[in-house]
Amino acid sequence: MRVSLTVNGRAYEREVAEHHTLLSLLRDELGLTGTKEGCAAGECGACTVFLNGQTVNSCMVLAVEAEGASVLTIEGEATGGELSPIQQALARHQAVQCGFCTGGMVMSIRELLERNPSPTVDDIKDGIEGNFCRCTGYQQIIEAVLDVSGQLTPETKGELKHV
Amino acid sequence: MAGTFAGTFKYRAPATRTELLDLIAEHEAVRILAGGTDLLVDIRNGVRHPEVVVDLKHVDGLRAVTWDPAAGLVIGAAATINDVLRSRDVREHYPLLAACAHDLASYQIRNRATVVGNVVNASPCSDMAPGLLCLQARAVISSTRGEREVAFREFFTGVKRTVLEHDEVLERIVVPATSAGARGGYRKLKRIKGHDLGIVGVAVLKHGNDLRLGVSSAAPTPVLIDGLPVDAPADDAVAALHAAISPISDVRCSAEYRAFMAETYARRLLEEVA
Repeated sequence: MRVSLTVNGRAYEREVAEHHTLLSLLRDELGLTGTKEGCAAGECGACTVFLNGQTVNSCMVLAVEAEGASVLTIEGEATGGELSPIQQALARHQAVQCGFCTGGMVMSIRELLERNPSPTVDDIKDGIEGNFCRCTGYQQIIEAVLDVSGQLTPETKGELKHV
Repeated sequence: MAGTFAGTFKYRAPATRTELLDLIAEHEAVRILAGGTDLLVDIRNGVRHPEVVVDLKHVDGLRAVTWDPAAGLVIGAAATINDVLRSRDVREHYPLLAACAHDLASYQIRNRATVVGNVVNASPCSDMAPGLLCLQARAVISSTRGEREVAFREFFTGVKRTVLEHDEVLERIVVPATSAGARGGYRKLKRIKGHDLGIVGVAVLKHGNDLRLGVSSAAPTPVLIDGLPVDAPADDAVAALHAAISPISDVRCSAEYRAFMAETYARRLLEEVA
């Protein structure tokens, strides 16, 4: 089945099998391997992308369901060779270790901040509840979100005091 | 390759209700796709082997969540959990339903998963069922043969089993207006928020002269306990709860722990909505 969609603002048209997922289209057909497959069951969130403005697990969306859709992936996050503010905050707070969860994590953080520009720690935990991190730990990630949303003071910065 | 399936199937996306009903009547091995958060996992795990997957999201009007003081709340088959949570009418008139919806999986799942899918999947641990049971909601079921309504207390027939025939679709859920404004709450025990099926879930609703409890993950189907007066002592409600549930021991916990926590949550909720 023929599928036309835009990914990170660029138009693509591909022939896809009807039983393949959006994740496989992104990775195997378009070569956008920043989006990861973790559990393949909607638990881990490593495959999180924006589909028409809403975050989804791309392992649980058929490629054919994305016909005419606008998709945003981690590859669209940095612009002009410069990391986005979310990415910079994650780097600044050592919130990336193996990086496997990071692409999906950034998508969920972006979605959360669009909905709620000044999230509390509880709001952040709710916002990233669908994204597993198995090595860095969540505290650094939560701190990075507080930082990028302008909620850290010189007193609290780097101390994880608020978590 | 990432995200592929062992089984193959044909994908169909009917544009009209008539086409949708014809398609599911024509094929034997057919499954309806809404959010896909249960169906696609089941296909991947080899639990379901449909030849045809019919996507109902292109049929007009099925995503609506509408409220009317006379007709009540109508939730279309394609309305997502987050559609319901974003509805001011739901938050205002049916806070119990919003509480159930908020406890279902993670944000990105709620963007995709549907209320109707959650009940049609008929898992004993359905998050929406306890609230819908307490609110005396009804399923409006359609096929080429016509339309029928089934109360949710009659809807679930076993683990992952419902009254739906193979050519039928649960087109919309109707929550009566008379249930609006009732006080209630939902508590779900799980190991990790957003990442696990419920260990046990309890909804409590005080409505007019009635006290109702809905329980998930404690019997082959979600359970409704009703017929209690609104001022029933907690001990009476708990006795009725234990008589209605039949929890099992599994990988998540023992039957005894489930029963204990169902009672604990019921007592806490009864205090909260007192």
